[in-house]
Amino acid sequence: MTKNVRKRRIKNLLALSLCSLCALFGLTILGWILFDVAVEGWKALSPKLFLKDPAPPGVMGGGGLKSAFLGQGLMTLTAAVMGIPIGILGGTFLAEYGRNLKVSAIVANLSDLAASTPSIVIGAFVHALLVAPFGGFSGWAGSVALAIIIIPLVLRTTDETLRLVPWNLREAALSLGASYHQVIWSIIYRSSLSGLLTGVVLALARAAGETAPLLFTSFNNNSFNWSLSSPTASLTVSIYQYAASPYESWIKLAWAAALVVTVLNLGLNLTARLFLKSRKY
Amino acid sequence: MIEVEDLCFYYNSKNALKNVTLSVKENCLTALIGPSGCGKTTLLRCFNRMHDLYPNNRYEGRIVFEGRDILDKSIDVITLRSSVGMVFQKPTPFPMSVFDNVAYGLRLKKINNHNVLKEKVERALTRAALWEEVKDRLKESALGLSGGQQQRLVIARTLAVEPKVILFDESTSALDPISTQKIEQLMVELKNDVTIVAVTHNLQQAARVSDYTALMYLGSLIEYDETANIFSKPKHKLTEEYVTGRFG
Amino acid sequence: MTSSKYKNLIFLLLTALASLVIVVVVILIAITLIKESYPALVRYGPLKFLFSRQWDYSKEIYGALRPLAGTVLSSFLALAAAWPLSIGAAIFLTELCPRRIKSVVASGLELLAAIPSVIYGLWGLMVMAPFLEKYVQPAIEFVLGDLPIIGSFFQSRSAGGVNLFSASCVLSLMILPFITSLAREAFDKTPPELKESAQALGATKWETVYDVVIPNSRSALAGAVVMALGRALGETMAVAYLIGNRHASLDSIFSPYATITSVMANEFNEAEGIRMSTLFALALVLMLSNSVILIISKRLIAGRRIA
Repeated sequence: MTKNVRKRRIKNLLALSLCSLCALFGLTILGWILFDVAVEGWKALSPKLFLKDPAPPGVMGGGGLKSAFLGQGLMTLTAAVMGIPIGILGGTFLAEYGRNLKVSAIVANLSDLAASTPSIVIGAFVHALLVAPFGGFSGWAGSVALAIIIIPLVLRTTDETLRLVPWNLREAALSLGASYHQVIWSIIYRSSLSGLLTGVVLALARAAGETAPLLFTSFNNNSFNWSLSSPTASLTVSIYQYAASPYESWIKLAWAAALVVTVLNLGLNLTARLFLKSRKY
Repeated sequence: MIEVEDLCFYYNSKNALKNVTLSVKENCLTALIGPSGCGKTTLLRCFNRMHDLYPNNRYEGRIVFEGRDILDKSIDVITLRSSVGMVFQKPTPFPMSVFDNVAYGLRLKKINNHNVLKEKVERALTRAALWEEVKDRLKESALGLSGGQQQRLVIARTLAVEPKVILFDESTSALDPISTQKIEQLMVELKNDVTIVAVTHNLQQAARVSDYTALMYLGSLIEYDETANIFSKPKHKLTEEYVTGRFG
Repeated sequence: MTSSKYKNLIFLLLTALASLVIVVVVILIAITLIKESYPALVRYGPLKFLFSRQWDYSKEIYGALRPLAGTVLSSFLALAAAWPLSIGAAIFLTELCPRRIKSVVASGLELLAAIPSVIYGLWGLMVMAPFLEKYVQPAIEFVLGDLPIIGSFFQSRSAGGVNLFSASCVLSLMILPFITSLAREAFDKTPPELKESAQALGATKWETVYDVVIPNSRSALAGAVVMALGRALGETMAVAYLIGNRHASLDSIFSPYATITSVMANEFNEAEGIRMSTLFALALVLMLSNSVILIISKRLIAGRRIA
């Protein structure tokens, strides 16, 4: 009996230690990746990165990624302006006006399907829709591809967040004579603000880190411009192309861009967590 | 049988039990009653050291069971828990077959011989008054049983390891009246060979089935006596008010 | 009063229209993929396309078998490595982790999922692939390389660390945090009284987890693994770097190979005509398998059995 208990205790200890090692393994990988990105990226980081455009290998030490910063910023912003309002309004329909409609469940499922669609398929789709018929790669096409990534993410977090607001809050407001849209604007959005922000920030982080949808839509551009109607550079596509190149100076640029993208992305994710913590419901 | 001596219990720094002293008699059914938050469940969970599962809990005092202080650090809680069983408020069938549920504790003790298991499972189910209802569906999932059957299954599972004490934590509060009656009957029969400590919200239940009753209030033991005395001639004013329904 | 009524109606219509956008997008994606892949599917016939291993630029005959096999193989290898690790990590988080460090460990594992896939690709190519080639590959080759029949699948035939094995490894790292967080959600749903019941019978913590917590969340765990499979199938950037995009028959897990996504990433921008249509047909295959996987995993996570 006691021998049995001892044996079981040893097995317990072994199995639980293995589980702890699994978690440790994950953290080690995170540390490893962040360490390499930080060290390699830091070596290549200089003001030139933000102020110069890429140069041919060997010339001026490879130049910088000014156009990629601008392009990425413009496209993400445009995608956010298109995608976030659509996502929030659509989510509002699912959680409020359409709460008990069958069609809402169908929309929610289709939205999940869109969210799980491989991003390269979205890239190919936007290429067929906006690039091939209009004669070439453009920043607009890239923005639309990113917006298609943003919409289902924001839509579903909005839907879920609004449903967490207790139903009697709505009844209380309606019984005071408010109409439903006033209830939504003055009470529901306000009490779920931090949840909505969490969804928005996470969706932005996803969009800002995407490469595959841009590859076939905005492609890349080595010269600086403010217009989204021509091919547009982005950090992520630059990383992809430069890392596969044989030139040392370009590989350095890729690491520097990787550092910036990683810091931005993790920063946005941590911000989203802060919002989540201040959630009321 | 179980001597509780000057027991104090703390959650974080909250003092949830204050100097409780009582002696649980062998083969009797002791009921713990009192208003919500009085510490009766907390006391019950000391008997099998269930509080050890959560951090920042602290015991003071002694609980002597079979000549040893079970609050002592050297006590093996796993061995302790196989001689002090527990039945919870809501039925807790494991996601496995009826048979495997009852055999679970036995298999933990490395009893793997199929014939022995079969015999012990049948005996436990019979004692829990469930055998006739489930003997043809031993291989089916336990989740398919009704609520009352699930609770008797949990009792059978507890009985299978042949504990000396069984703790009931409001084990009928989630059940319908007929299932409740069956379980009460069962408790009365069981005390022929096990000692039972039961927390209950239901005063009639305490009066019907228990031999001894302890009234708790704000973490302290107010009165502990034979059930008949508690309900007919309480010594303490608080007890009288509680059993006549004037507070709680 | 009436103006407020109108405003409410307008807002209702606005939200309904917004929710329609995503429906339209999904329908448009389906129509576009079918329309663009139509020429290729008609020319080869759908079944012949799926099971042809040719990828001949000069004769312009393209078949899906190799990229499809590469996608399936790399995903399943990744899954095989990732699921035990993820479930172990989830057990650590729900059952073992001291409360003080819980949020740190949990955030750390979730940040692993937040790293963009192009970064995994860059790191995988520059750091992990050389590491695997130097330390892990020789070890596996030493242990399994001399086995009869299957041994040759574990012998290295090309240098550089760009191969099916590396691609699977980076994929498994990418899906690890994903399965972990889904498994954790499932474990957290186990009623505490169920766990207490097992422990009240004298079960150790591991016995409680193995006998009660895991069986209780079996369906959701299966759903998590299937959903991770969907992620792995569609993952592009990291795989495109590490698999080498080679159209040849697979002789070893240490040889370069191709997946649907690597073929698309590498060849889309230079393709036209029937080759372009073929790439869309590959995208259609990916999209269809993704839909099936999503339906199965959602049902599993909701706890329903598949009929």
